[in-house]
Amino acid sequence: MSEEVKRSLQRIHAPDEIEAQRRAWALVRASFDTREPVAWQKRNRRPLLLVALGLLVLLAAFLSPPGRALVGSVRDAVTPDKNTPKPKPALTALPAGGSLLVNSSKGPWIVHPDGSMRPLGPWWEGAWSPNAEHVAVTKAHRLAALTPDGTLKWALARSKLLHGARWSLEPPSECCRIAYLNGRQLRVVAGDGTGDAPLRDVVGPVAPAWRPAVTRQVAFSTIDGRIELADVDTTKTIWLSAPGDPPMQLVWSDDGRRLLALGERSLRVFDSNGNKLWAIGMPVGPSGVVFVRKSHRFIVIRYSPATQRSDLVLFQAETSPGEPRFLYSAPGDFGTLAISQNGDWLLVGWINANQWLFLRLTSSAKVESVSNIVEQFGGSSEAPLDTAFPKSVSWCCPASP
Amino acid sequence: MVGPGRQERSWIRGARAGSVSDLEALFREHWPRAHRAAFLVVQDAAAAEDIAQEAFLSALRNLDRFDRRRPFGPWLHRIVVNRAIDWSRARALRRELSEVPGSEDFDTGDLGTFSEGVGAGLASLPPDQRAVIVLRYLLEYTPGEIADLLDLPRGTVNSRLRRGLDRLEAIVDRERR
Repeated sequence: MSEEVKRSLQRIHAPDEIEAQRRAWALVRASFDTREPVAWQKRNRRPLLLVALGLLVLLAAFLSPPGRALVGSVRDAVTPDKNTPKPKPALTALPAGGSLLVNSSKGPWIVHPDGSMRPLGPWWEGAWSPNAEHVAVTKAHRLAALTPDGTLKWALARSKLLHGARWSLEPPSECCRIAYLNGRQLRVVAGDGTGDAPLRDVVGPVAPAWRPAVTRQVAFSTIDGRIELADVDTTKTIWLSAPGDPPMQLVWSDDGRRLLALGERSLRVFDSNGNKLWAIGMPVGPSGVVFVRKSHRFIVIRYSPATQRSDLVLFQAETSPGEPRFLYSAPGDFGTLAISQNGDWLLVGWINANQWLFLRLTSSAKVESVSNIVEQFGGSSEAPLDTAFPKSVSWCCPASP
Repeated sequence: MVGPGRQERSWIRGARAGSVSDLEALFREHWPRAHRAAFLVVQDAAAAEDIAQEAFLSALRNLDRFDRRRPFGPWLHRIVVNRAIDWSRARALRRELSEVPGSEDFDTGDLGTFSEGVGAGLASLPPDQRAVIVLRYLLEYTPGEIADLLDLPRGTVNSRLRRGLDRLEAIVDRERR
């Protein structure tokens, strides 16, 4: 019972939490601005006295021969812990299991849980296969399947620029298909490189999104911003939404019952039958969205042009968005989101700071950060951050987002 | 209670020296739980916001006197929960004089009926029992720490916890049937 109570209490939120926090911060900030700071000497009178006393004791100890050994051991004990700088200058380990596929300005990289990383070669972008046994990569007119160590399994070429390759999320027995864009044409090829064929001749530029938990259904956008779900075996349309803001990102919930279409100016939420549950306007600016694992709740980046800050806000993909919950905020742009396989950690790309933030989403919230992200993935520290910072990260498995 | 992390000590040091960003970090770290704790005890959104705000302002006014070797959370939670108990007692007194409408609805999202049951059950407990349940199961203090925070004997804390849990269990069971 007590464990259930604990879980339940930690899930209950006060109404209007996000706005209450904003109001409170404004008040606290205003009060802080009018506060009279206490002089440093007055604030530190007691510590200074203690330090002076401590120095006297140390001096006395140092002057006696047996005391010299003691001073040495004290010096060792109070040396600052060099392992806990914030942020960490390099990614030394992932806070949760799984591996990352990072699409950097220098091509795709794989990062293992121990922090070791390797580039996949001269490709422009990559996407995980369902169990991370392969990566689909594209560059110019070529699509290829690689193993995570970079070994080429097969490749094909098409007339237009290829991008947006996504591996279907089917079980291994039925695995797999890759949907990709050949210019504006949507094509599907089997996971072994055979049976390549067009599915639609003209579609929107967003990467297609395979519906999880259901085999061979893929969502994509039309050129007028409709969302279409199609059966790739029969090529028939399962449903087609009304026109809307052309999406930049299509994301399914883990159970395949909710689909998010994030555009430049709006976010639309659909159920599995293509019914629009709700939509909200989005401020123009950096954005991104990711579902919380095994849930219909999702986290969206909401940029405020007025304050030039990015917020992470939690909504629910039900018949109403629920009370939005504010999770985190920082000045500047957030650029990518990925959620760990156990659902406990959220990776946030913080472009202006050249950092990744790892936010723990469990009851005891925690933030860890890693700096020098551009440099760690082969980029130049001289290049502008908005072009050099990794464009997307996928945390497998199954891959997110 | 464990000591504060290096980062929290740094925020407090920075805030004392006038750094707004350190103050904001401290606020963002502690506000959500303080606000939620106040709400669960008082069961009134507006009052909870006022109580948590006042607690933060009070903590801010006394920041220079705060011993930064100690964690900030318990210091803030002591202020929040004691104010919330006082407010709830005062409201109970007012209720005796004139009926007041029922408590606020809880936002449990799509989390199912158990959370709703616990939310409703909590509302039916006396403020003293609500406070110890919230301190124990939301803020995760031990009974000994709760006794320190509320200036109560540990036995009293344990008995309030037991009685509160028993009543919650009865209410949730009744709602499940």
